[in-house]
Amino acid sequence: MGALLDPFGIGDAREREESWRYSRNALRALEQLDLGPADSSAALPGELIERFDWPETRAARLVFVNGFCAESHSRVDGRIQVEHEGARSVIRLAGARRLHLVFASTPGAAAVRWQREINIEVAQHGELIEHHVGSAGPDVLGSLDCRVNLAPGADFDLAVLTDLPDSVSLYRRASASIERAATLRSTAALFGGRMQRHDLGVSLGGAGARYTARGAFALRARQHVDVHLDVRHAARDTVSDVLWRGVADQRARGILHGAITVAAGADGADARLQTKNLLLSPHAEIDAQPVLEIYADDVKASHGATVGQLDERALFYLRSRGVALADARALLIGGFCREAFAGLADVGLTARLDAALARRLPGSGGAAP
Amino acid sequence: MLNIDDLHVSVAGKEILKGLSLRVAPGEVHAIMGPNGAGKSTLGNVLAGRDGYDVVHGTVEFEGRNLLDLEPEQRAAAGVFLAFQYPVEIPGVNNTYFLRAALNAQRKARGEGELDSMQFLKTVREKLRVLHMPEDLMNRAVNAGFSGGEKKRNEIFQMALLEPRLAILDETDSGLDIDALKMVADGVNAMRDTRRAFVVITHYQRLLDYIVPDFVHVMVDGRIVESGDRSLALKLEEHGYAWVAERRLAGAV
Repeated sequence: MGALLDPFGIGDAREREESWRYSRNALRALEQLDLGPADSSAALPGELIERFDWPETRAARLVFVNGFCAESHSRVDGRIQVEHEGARSVIRLAGARRLHLVFASTPGAAAVRWQREINIEVAQHGELIEHHVGSAGPDVLGSLDCRVNLAPGADFDLAVLTDLPDSVSLYRRASASIERAATLRSTAALFGGRMQRHDLGVSLGGAGARYTARGAFALRARQHVDVHLDVRHAARDTVSDVLWRGVADQRARGILHGAITVAAGADGADARLQTKNLLLSPHAEIDAQPVLEIYADDVKASHGATVGQLDERALFYLRSRGVALADARALLIGGFCREAFAGLADVGLTARLDAALARRLPGSGGAAP
Repeated sequence: MLNIDDLHVSVAGKEILKGLSLRVAPGEVHAIMGPNGAGKSTLGNVLAGRDGYDVVHGTVEFEGRNLLDLEPEQRAAAGVFLAFQYPVEIPGVNNTYFLRAALNAQRKARGEGELDSMQFLKTVREKLRVLHMPEDLMNRAVNAGFSGGEKKRNEIFQMALLEPRLAILDETDSGLDIDALKMVADGVNAMRDTRRAFVVITHYQRLLDYIVPDFVHVMVDGRIVESGDRSLALKLEEHGYAWVAERRLAGAV
């Protein structure tokens, strides 16, 4: 198994097998496709451009089409340094800047794949919006390896929005190294796609490092999203706080595996992981697995995972006020997911996530793009 | 307006209402009192259309329509409102968004035009002022983190906004201090008019000092065993519910 993963050097590694348990079949199905290289110079349809062309981010935006930087859609000033070396790009954020990083997948005549590696160096403060969009057609598999380094004392916001048609798959590995007194806040909103796999590795390597993660997926049809989060507390007085919401309707499948390790010597660590999930159909499935391993003393740690159905009392309450059943369901599902975005500082982005969510909600009737 | 005839209702196979009949005309305020377990809340829930309540026998007619045929949202649009005994907390759903959706859904169902956000906010501000409620209520999630008193006042605020024809208040007084009780009563009294009716379900006489009913009914074991005017509530306060049961046994009813 895992020829598709070879470029990441993890193809047949035994210890990785277990982590693919719920996505093995989805991966095998992708391997059946004869994936050719994606077109590096594919033109972007206007409909796709509209999805990422936000007035707020036009001044600082990098657009990758099928993994290749599309200069005509990209614009950055001197405070953001970008170097491309083959399949790898290095981005250095200096000063408080917001960068909109867009990955657009456009299909070819037959199934294709693309790959990209991004290294992000954050010296002080920064904000990154990593945004995945795609057009429907023959299959596209995008693979992204994203590494973020936070210098001591740095403060970084990372928002990940995937808004994919059911013919696009994404394998995304992201790793973050958080140094002394640095803070990483991440928010993820994952929608659509044939298969999405997110491997997120976070290392709290310096004393006082902090990591806050919020995320939600809302899935329907046969969408498959698999999130593997691996947080490692490796220094004193480090904090991690993870809150996820998952919704699955019809035959969708969602997986959230959250592992927190507090290494020996990481005394004073404070680790929280909570995931709540909603199953809207008897054929949908959500697997939520929190795993906690503690090798240090004086540690505060808690975790919890629930999978449930829509609250009938709340549904009746809304209907008793005149809201029709379908709208009441959409209100409750939206509210459930929005709880994960409550702490998001950027109001403009909240509205955009809200809009994407409304379009993507199970039962909202919005056709997958 | 509301005509309940020989209503028998079961919950999970157990008969709770055992032949309840009640007629409510426009402009009237009916108080329904009774001991715990008499079926008072069941009556409110059945009228609002909650799942899990099986109507075994009897009819409920509201303004000439069979109320039991309607979905909960259709009953709301027809003008039925239930102030919940235990209002539900809905984190993540904004009050403004919810109430505007509710009001406009009702208006649409009645063939009335929808309110735009300016018109809606104007109406909301008026109603909040009447109930002495803070405007920031509208930016919060529905009942999330509200105190017991705030939840009950929020129910009355929703009633004021939605302007139902028939409002059923299910133990809205329980858990309220005297100030909150007065605010709730003021909110209800401000809405009393000749075309609107109220069914006030309560365990205690206290609320009826502030919301003065036209009729008082005593409910015991799933049916109304005695009806009268306001003085009945005072007698109950004095003698307790056992008094009604004893009178029944003595054949006085």
